[in-house]
Amino acid sequence: MDQFLVSLMNGVVYGLLLFMVSAGLTLIFGMMGVLNFAHASFYMLGAYFAYTLQGAIGFWAAIVVSPVLVGLVGVGVERFFLRRVHQYGHAHELLLTFGLSFIVAESIKLFFGNYPVDYRIPAALDVSAFTIGGAQYPVYRLLMGGIAIAMFVVIYVLLTRTRVGIVVRSAIHKPRMAEALGHNVPLVFMGVFGVGAALAGLAGAVAGAFYTTNPNMALELGVMVFVVVVVGGLGSLGGAMLASLLIGVVTSLAVGIDRSLADLLALVGVGDWAQGVGGLMTLKISSLSATIPFALMLLILLVRPGGLMGEKG
Amino acid sequence: MTMKTTLSIVAAGVALLLAAPVLLSQGLLNAAVQMLIAALFASAYNVLCGQAGMLSFGHAAYFGVGAFATVHAMNAVGGAGLLPTPLLPLVGAGLGLVFGGVAGWFATKRTGTYFAMITLAIAELVHSLAPHLKGLFGGEAGVSSMRMPAWGFDFGSTTQVYYLVLGWTLLCVGLLYLYTRTPLGRLTCGLRENSQRLRFLGYDVHGLGVAVFAISAMFSGVAGALQVLSNESANYVVFDPALSASVILNCFIGGVSVFLGPALGAALMTFFGYAMSDLTRSWLLYQGILFVLVMLFMPAGLAGLPGTLGRLRRRFGLARLLPLVLLSVGAASLLSLGGTFAVELLQRVFSQDYRAAVQMNPGVAWPDVTLLSRAWSPGSPATWAVPAALFAVGLALVWFARRLHRALEEGESAPPSVASASASATVVNVPVTRSLA
Amino acid sequence: MKQRDTSSRNRLTHLAVAPVMGLLVCGAAAAAPVKIGVLETLSGPQASSGQAYRTAVRYAIDQINAAGGWNGESVQLLEYDNQGGPAGAADKLKAAAADGVHMVVQGASSAIGGQITEDVRKHNLRNPGREIVYINVGAEALELTGEKCNFHHFRFSGDAQLRTKALVNAMKQAGALGTRVYSINQNYSWGQDMERAIADNAAAGGYQVVEKTLHDVNKVQDFAPYVVKIAATKADSVLTGNWSNDLLLLMKASKSAGLKVRFGTVFLDQPGNLANAGDLAIGHFVVHTFNAEAGGAEGERFVNEYKARTGHAPAFIEPQTVFGMAMVADALKRTPAEGGKLNVNAFAKALETAKVTSPMGQMSMRAADHQVQMPMVVSTVAKDARYKADETDMGFKPVKRFTATEASIPAQSNCAMKRPG
Repeated sequence: MDQFLVSLMNGVVYGLLLFMVSAGLTLIFGMMGVLNFAHASFYMLGAYFAYTLQGAIGFWAAIVVSPVLVGLVGVGVERFFLRRVHQYGHAHELLLTFGLSFIVAESIKLFFGNYPVDYRIPAALDVSAFTIGGAQYPVYRLLMGGIAIAMFVVIYVLLTRTRVGIVVRSAIHKPRMAEALGHNVPLVFMGVFGVGAALAGLAGAVAGAFYTTNPNMALELGVMVFVVVVVGGLGSLGGAMLASLLIGVVTSLAVGIDRSLADLLALVGVGDWAQGVGGLMTLKISSLSATIPFALMLLILLVRPGGLMGEKG
Repeated sequence: MTMKTTLSIVAAGVALLLAAPVLLSQGLLNAAVQMLIAALFASAYNVLCGQAGMLSFGHAAYFGVGAFATVHAMNAVGGAGLLPTPLLPLVGAGLGLVFGGVAGWFATKRTGTYFAMITLAIAELVHSLAPHLKGLFGGEAGVSSMRMPAWGFDFGSTTQVYYLVLGWTLLCVGLLYLYTRTPLGRLTCGLRENSQRLRFLGYDVHGLGVAVFAISAMFSGVAGALQVLSNESANYVVFDPALSASVILNCFIGGVSVFLGPALGAALMTFFGYAMSDLTRSWLLYQGILFVLVMLFMPAGLAGLPGTLGRLRRRFGLARLLPLVLLSVGAASLLSLGGTFAVELLQRVFSQDYRAAVQMNPGVAWPDVTLLSRAWSPGSPATWAVPAALFAVGLALVWFARRLHRALEEGESAPPSVASASASATVVNVPVTRSLA
Repeated sequence: MKQRDTSSRNRLTHLAVAPVMGLLVCGAAAAAPVKIGVLETLSGPQASSGQAYRTAVRYAIDQINAAGGWNGESVQLLEYDNQGGPAGAADKLKAAAADGVHMVVQGASSAIGGQITEDVRKHNLRNPGREIVYINVGAEALELTGEKCNFHHFRFSGDAQLRTKALVNAMKQAGALGTRVYSINQNYSWGQDMERAIADNAAAGGYQVVEKTLHDVNKVQDFAPYVVKIAATKADSVLTGNWSNDLLLLMKASKSAGLKVRFGTVFLDQPGNLANAGDLAIGHFVVHTFNAEAGGAEGERFVNEYKARTGHAPAFIEPQTVFGMAMVADALKRTPAEGGKLNVNAFAKALETAKVTSPMGQMSMRAADHQVQMPMVVSTVAKDARYKADETDMGFKPVKRFTATEASIPAQSNCAMKRPG
């Protein structure tokens, strides 16, 4: 039971981390219709900026300043790159962000080298919160989860209760009308893109210390973030939260399940035949834990393409 | 461009390709084989992306399916092969068609971004499962095979492989071109333009989508089969998203609106990777920068360049166009030189070996780096002045080119009586443009 | 220290005059220098190891040339980037063959190693008289000296069985193994080889494998679920062949969960690991092919020379590459020129009987399967190690050394090597 609880908590925290990165992506897609392939690169930039600044201004200040820098990079990307390609259609915007992700990854390799860098949690935070099931639960994980939840609450309140939020939401749903009413829609776009990038940068700054900070971070997280956004519903913040938690928990719990399809078939008596067939039948669910999100994504796309909380059809 | 000029250009191209083994070294010939395969894959992909307007993110899956089908066919019958070697791509085509049909049936149920996401999900699923299915995909060393002699050839030398690949590539590209001429090919463009209207006209849009997907997957399977014939092995890394990404890149760099655009883009980028990867460590960065620049400034791709030039020439005439072209080419060269220089300098200064050397001797000035067989000191401003100067001159040329372009446009739109200079220019130009038209 | 950039110069001029060079090489009956090609992953996500191999090979070739080269000529080094994949490797091998290399050196990936050994075999079949030898300095898949063994392939590094045998022996002697061992590995041939090796050594090590786990390669970000599983089995130690992120994240996750197990690893000495792991790495074990402290005065001399030439101490796979190339040099010395050119088959026969003495001890090549018989060393991470790694205050302190004979494993039975006439 303890093991299950720990796995559940780990899954929730991992899911919250995914949410931090995908929140920005889903907002950007909902607003501009462009799937930003460079979003995971913002995550990576956040980690590297924080690593560079940590030596100079300390851990906490680095965590605050690094997202701001990444946000500025995001604003620059929108203003100087995306805006120029907007007229040629979604495919071009998408491919441009794709090319940018290449450039960011290679530039990081140029300046920081190919190996992981030494970005670590400060010793003061590297303690355990409580003991459960014979293992300790680190404070930093709870901190990551806490930051993610705080972020969700802040964005939700901003979008639904403030004037800025109303303008942003109207720009998302009816950009031309909002522009006709006199709002500076291009400025809104730029701002949302920058904020989205800053959120990903914050996730990177926080998570890079806990996991490793290396030039392949963007590749590792990138596809999972897309899965989250699709499963949750393109443009829906609540959907992104739900989907990230779902995927985090499923991935975490699946590792503990050492059963395969053959074991399931053994219940109806054809277990030996399934074992003999081998291949897909004898693949353990624990080995497939990284594949399950893709199967989930395919299922959602076929059955309910709007995602769990997006629009239907 | 007229039919005759197009045909003559195509004929010249084919003649050049046929003569390649005589003209190129063995190493470059092998690169040519890879370029042909990439060109075929890109042309097959363009059926779906450029003509039908359906952006698929996981097309490497069908390339890979064709590859593995072919390698298993090569190993079948105790190594003798299911079919004679030159006919083996048919296996790749067949399985590509079947798998593409199945996947396409699911994928084309949705459109736009959702379609792209479904194709991505399918590709990622195959990519995740492949390492686990050892019998089919052979683990990370892949499945290897050997080309068997057939029809009097032993297919041992690169030259014979080249002709085999060339034959199949020309055949498939020819078939793809004929496809665009058939009613089905026309309907494909209709899918891109207005699928709603097609539905109203009574066509089964879903079935159409599946057919187009399957055809694209079939030719991708042939490309995969050709790669297996050339490399004599298939590895599950072929399902990597990087390959799907590279075919999209190649297509758009070449230009999706012209038939041979993707093939051109693929050939160019393959050669670029082949040549650059041994020259410099930062070639991926250059590839990314090139891609972004093409997306920003040449949205119609490289194949759109002759069209743009032709239009400009018809508007302004060759004499006035030439300085503009020279300025642009000069600006582009200087900017790329400056950029390359800066990147290479930075790469050497930030490399691990250099940083370790600096740390070993803390008091001494930073050692020199080698670039273009010369030593450059990173501390001295002279070193950085070189790329800065190249950039400055390049940007100045860009500014001049822009001014000239604007002057040409204004000169053209102004009525002939107002500006005598432009009037005399048009008088001078008329006979020139007539003779060149 | 000047950066050597022979590569760009070589490649640039080569591209420009390729056809002419081809004609010249064909036409010249006079002395033809030995050409060695490094076919590595020099760009892309896995570039870090490939570049390390290249540095080591460059160093080794400089040593060969400083000692006079071969047949009075310097040995030439050509570099090829396989762009991270077997398809790229196949292409560049063809390019290398077209350039007339006599041997290709590679080590960064078993997948690419598998591709190269097969391609070399087929090339040699089709081009008698222009054979190529594959010098494998790091691809450790068992099948390369088993099922896929090939007369023109020589391996100069360990494999899963060799490493596990030494690791288990040393850890047992140090009392760190315990009786309950957890085996966690990556789900591909290397990881599966390790899993089998860990199970095979259970009797010798006096332990029971309480659970075996295989996980996706380089895809798992959060190892906490796996740590939960390890904790549930109450294992004393964890044996793993994981590398790069998979190893780091596993160790980090087990530290934050406060799991008290001893790790026995194969790749803990990969650059960047100690810096990233920090103090949590202390006390864990690694089996590797070189430890400067264990090498005594010879080891120190090697480290200093290497550092002087390349700017950093030899780490990870660099020493085994240098020693392997030293054996190549030994074989080259014993291969006389035939008409001014190198007879590759004669060279390969000489390499089969090559012997050198490295700072770690005697090394020799086993002719049956072309697996090098080399000393192994098991070290533990400690603050009082003589040589610090990764610019931290920790280093690898040797626990036990194994001579080549002690570390040796018999040749696999499924290696049926076809020798040329």
